[in-house]
Amino acid sequence: MVYWRIIRKSYIRNLQYRIAHLINNVASAIFGFVYMAIWFGVLDGRAGSSPYDQQTMAQYITLTQCLLWVTTFHTPGLGIQNGVRTGAVSTDLMRPISYFLYVMSMEFGKVVYSFFYRFIPVGLILGSIAGFSFPLQLQTYLWFLLSLLFSVYLGLLLFYITGISSFWTTEIRWSHYILITLIFGLGGQMIPVELLPGLLGKLSLYLPFSGILYAPAMIFLERIDPDVIVMQAGWAMVLTLTALFLTAKARRKVEVQGG
Amino acid sequence: MIWLYRKLILASIRAQMQYKLNFLTTAATTGLIMVIDFLVLSAILQRFDQVKGWDIYEVGVLYGLASASMSLYRLIAPEIHDFERYIVYGDFDQLLTRPVSPLTLLLTRNIELARIGGIVQGIAILVISLYGLHQEGKNIVWLLAYVPVSLAVGTVILFSVGLATATIGFWTGQIKDLQTFTLYAPATAANYPISLYPGWLKLLFYTAIPVAFMNYMPMSYLLDKGGSWTALLMPLGMAAVVCWMALRFWKYGIHHYHSTGS
Repeated sequence: MVYWRIIRKSYIRNLQYRIAHLINNVASAIFGFVYMAIWFGVLDGRAGSSPYDQQTMAQYITLTQCLLWVTTFHTPGLGIQNGVRTGAVSTDLMRPISYFLYVMSMEFGKVVYSFFYRFIPVGLILGSIAGFSFPLQLQTYLWFLLSLLFSVYLGLLLFYITGISSFWTTEIRWSHYILITLIFGLGGQMIPVELLPGLLGKLSLYLPFSGILYAPAMIFLERIDPDVIVMQAGWAMVLTLTALFLTAKARRKVEVQGG
Repeated sequence: MIWLYRKLILASIRAQMQYKLNFLTTAATTGLIMVIDFLVLSAILQRFDQVKGWDIYEVGVLYGLASASMSLYRLIAPEIHDFERYIVYGDFDQLLTRPVSPLTLLLTRNIELARIGGIVQGIAILVISLYGLHQEGKNIVWLLAYVPVSLAVGTVILFSVGLATATIGFWTGQIKDLQTFTLYAPATAANYPISLYPGWLKLLFYTAIPVAFMNYMPMSYLLDKGGSWTALLMPLGMAAVVCWMALRFWKYGIHHYHSTGS
């Protein structure tokens, strides 16, 4: 199938950078290390006032730092805006394949690569500090895998929608920043979302952002019910329809710039 | 010299102001992640009161100083920060043919105005935190007086580390990954009390990458966390030393520069 080949090609292209990335992993693990240190400091001697102990928090941070690599550290706008600016997008839209799946497959190849050369190594480095703990129940692995796939898909969808908005705005730098900020802030990168104060803590559980980092991490730690996957699936459906709708609109909107 | 700097910088500002809306949105959003990051930290500290004896306003002072310094460095030295492309594309050769030193040229070529957003937001965090401390009945006169010094020291230290990192590019050709080690990670770590980190990291932050001097050391003394008045002078000395060393290293690097050819 053509999309399978796109995914494979994109994976192989990314492989070229693996040595540089393996070194970079050590550097990016330092960030996880800083967040762990904050939680260690905060919870020091106050284990009673938190639903999570120091080790659980360290493992939570480990998981979110790994998840960022396969859900959030994508090409901004999946690169769609570059095609819009140069006009190359018109050729891409002419291809006899779905533009949506074409762009998503390209990035998914990178995600598969990031899983092996980012997610796993960062997990090993941070896990060696936080202490490894693996779920006891076998079905947890299944739920985690399912939740992980949804979180990857949700991340890609949000990036795609940001990218496709460039058909109207050309420039997506600011919307990209806002997206990243929302994923970091409301996704639970540093703090389990239900610990956020007041209404934000309750509301963010139902937003798609918490389905990106918080849900899979907590499922792995066996701290929430796998029901949360239904929420992820619901958002995946809504956002897929939005993405397809915008793609159809964009197709009609194609303007050729320059001459 | 100053006249030349002014003229070149003004030209750069005029160029960037051609796209006003773009400037405003970029400036507003570049600091956004930083503010959210701090809000999340506030949420944590609101629930758990303090971290290593530092409450939210006290951490806010560290955070504001560190992030405003980082934005100041990014404002004045974008070409040093993105020096990699001069090496990769061989553009550095051009600079060597001019009658002005390459460093002056790089510093005057461009200032990244959008970073003003980050500076404003860093200072806002600082102001809110100082106000909070004032409300708690703390004397903040000395803190206020020392803020400009800390910002200057922080900017000089980060600039020196940035320049030294760029210099390594003369040999390695690449600096982007290295910057995560030398700049991004230490600057992020300096947003919080250095006492959080294990011994080997503390040692690093007091020596090779001396980010502890830009906020933690003087503020520990001014916020009664210990230390003596020398904590107010040492940052100045450290800034001077690292700046001198970075400049020496930069000159050494230029002497060993081989063009990429074409």
